[in-house]
Amino acid sequence: MSKAVSRSTFLRLAGTAALLLTKTFARSAENEITSEMILADPEAPTAGNPEGDITIVDFFDYNCPFCKDAAVHLERLVKADGKIKLVYKDWPVLAPSSIVGAKLALGARYQDKYLAAHHALMSVPGYGIPQQQMIDAVRNSGVDMNRLNADIKANDAAITGLLKRNLAIADAVGFQGTPGFLVGPYKVNQALTYDGFQHVVADARARQAGQKAD
Amino acid sequence: MSYVRTIWFVTFLLQAFWLGAAAAGPKPPDEAFRFDVTQGEEEGVELFWSIEPGYYLYRDRIAASLGGEALKVVTTRGETKDDPTFGPTEVYHHQATALINALPETGELHVTYQGCGENTICYPPITKVIDLATLIVRDADDRKEEMRSLSASAAEDPAPTVPGDVSPASATTPDLGGNLLPTLLAFLGFGVLLAFTPCVLPMVPILSGMLTRSAEKLSPAQGFLLSASYVLAMASAYGVLGVFAAWFGGNLQAILQTPGAVALMSLMFVMLALSMFGFYELQGPHAWSARLTLGAGRPGSIGGAALLGFTSALIVGPCVTPPLAVALVYIAQTGKAMRGSAALFSLGLGMGLPLLVVGAFGATALPKSGPWLVRVKQAFGIVFIGVAIWMMSRILPLPLIAIAWGAFFVGIAFWLGWPQPDGARSTPHWGRVASAMAAGTLAIYGGLVTIGGITGWYAPLQPFAWAGVTLPISASGLESDGFQTITNEHDLDTAIATASVEGRPVLIDFSAEWCTECRLMERTVFADEAVRQRLRTLRLIRADMTRYNLASRRLMERFEVVGPPTLVFLNATGREVDGTRTIGATAVRDLLDKISVAERG
Repeated sequence: MSKAVSRSTFLRLAGTAALLLTKTFARSAENEITSEMILADPEAPTAGNPEGDITIVDFFDYNCPFCKDAAVHLERLVKADGKIKLVYKDWPVLAPSSIVGAKLALGARYQDKYLAAHHALMSVPGYGIPQQQMIDAVRNSGVDMNRLNADIKANDAAITGLLKRNLAIADAVGFQGTPGFLVGPYKVNQALTYDGFQHVVADARARQAGQKAD
Repeated sequence: MSYVRTIWFVTFLLQAFWLGAAAAGPKPPDEAFRFDVTQGEEEGVELFWSIEPGYYLYRDRIAASLGGEALKVVTTRGETKDDPTFGPTEVYHHQATALINALPETGELHVTYQGCGENTICYPPITKVIDLATLIVRDADDRKEEMRSLSASAAEDPAPTVPGDVSPASATTPDLGGNLLPTLLAFLGFGVLLAFTPCVLPMVPILSGMLTRSAEKLSPAQGFLLSASYVLAMASAYGVLGVFAAWFGGNLQAILQTPGAVALMSLMFVMLALSMFGFYELQGPHAWSARLTLGAGRPGSIGGAALLGFTSALIVGPCVTPPLAVALVYIAQTGKAMRGSAALFSLGLGMGLPLLVVGAFGATALPKSGPWLVRVKQAFGIVFIGVAIWMMSRILPLPLIAIAWGAFFVGIAFWLGWPQPDGARSTPHWGRVASAMAAGTLAIYGGLVTIGGITGWYAPLQPFAWAGVTLPISASGLESDGFQTITNEHDLDTAIATASVEGRPVLIDFSAEWCTECRLMERTVFADEAVRQRLRTLRLIRADMTRYNLASRRLMERFEVVGPPTLVFLNATGREVDGTRTIGATAVRDLLDKISVAERG
């Protein structure tokens, strides 16, 4: 995708301004949006290297076909790179069944099966996925559905709270649609290829190195 | 939320990427899809989207509503987007138009659409509000609705993730977990209440006919005994339903609605009828059918009566009622087959109690012998033929059944008009005139129906509708009542997805051609003007269970439906609304209440 590469190239050249998301805001109240909430929400599932030098925050929807394509490339890079921390932000905005999917995945976290459920849901191609298809996908991923049902009910407040925080963050960041990525200090509001992600990560690392050198 | 802090943060963030985003990022949705509306013809409006290159709109995501009611949007054919895994999806590139007709002069029209940038981004649904008086377009308060939908669905669990979540038990159905004796008595009571519904009514002529065949040597005590064995067998059949559900899952009644079983049962009735016409005595030792009916042919044969009762309950009048559903679901969930079966046995017993009365008193009312008895026997033979045709209508194509009914009526006409042999001259003159007139009328009617059947016409047999004993011949007209008929999960999912795009709740009517209660509801409840008005806001889906196969079984399992008639309401997010399910026949008032709950849900 030449468009994605040119964007990251542009970012590299333009890199005059960057945001240090690691800088925390003081006196953070519950409803405020802090970089802490974006990068280290204890409720948000993560993958990759927890001690990685760069964090990628992925805002996605289980009804978004391009999120699914991009996620494949992203996960491959996270694995190959070995020093990326990946944060999953379920952002169900495309269709009513998206909310169902997000709740299924986040509910599976309580039996340590978030990634299984997430990957199962991301593997259902296309848009407009019926909720039953989502439920079947999660069931086939080895999640205990009885327990999942109980967990979703018992932790409804926590799950809904997280989804609301994710919605608020996505709004504040200014994402127009899915997918959205925060790669270190950079905001990318579109699907990227493997090369695209690689470029942005390289840019972000260069930016961070520059900040430290300053 | 601290807005100052949020805005500050956002500004901070945007400062960093303003240039980058403006240069290469995806466009804001209103730039990608420029929306406009103009006055259309026929008191409608024309919607227009100008779509940036590289972006597209989904055809099936264009929806409109006025005052919360979904409107019909006429869209043109889009380009088919290649999606090998998901099937064809229609999208619009460059531009799109849509028409909405018959709008009022004032009001707020909500138009929702959704699209993506090719390979880059998908936008959440975009909703615009159009003031119909001025055609001024403004943004809907999306954010608020987004949050509300999240909170609303968060108050409930997301989906029937695990079957068994939803208990179909209504308030009027007892809990099976309590003491056994009260439970059994309650089910007995429910059975008695059900005895006067179309579930049991077809059994009255069957039982009467059976008694008539044996009438020559029948005392009231024998009549009672025969009826009792019929009823006990019927109750046992219900008990067997429970055991079957525990061992194999599923409702045996629905499973038995196979062409083979129905044909066999119909054949049995034809055999019974022929023997009642005196064509042969049932002593013939060779035919299996003769053996099958032999027991019933001998006066006082308890075995024959029992066989008839057992098969009647399973095949002739399969009926799903709330107590039956509760018991079957209870067995499926707890595995307590004996307890559930005992309850079902009580239910069957209760349903049969009034039949006992018919049996005992009916036997005394019958003439002891003579030509009248012959006539009565023949009359019940005709009834049996009717039962056979009615059952075959579940499996044979419509024109054939119409021909069969036509021939049936012509046959009755001949029977009425045929000069009677020997001493039948005792019949008074007016009686002969009446029967001749009836014969003539029936012959004409039967002839018309036959011609209709041959030419593939609709056969008007509505006179029987009052008893629910109607013919699926009339089912062809049901498409017009606003229900979309589906037979598999894929079609159901598509329909639900469409409804969810439109933001409409869904009513799924589990129905089958062999389900007499369903026919009755279609003619009474769904034909009710108030109900029709209220159902307009819902998307109506009729899940056809006529054929018991993998597809229909999956549909039933998905919603844990035991059998038709069952109504399931889904809210706009596709989730079943608690407490709205109805099983069995439903009254208009109940249904209206459930619709109200479903609309809120």
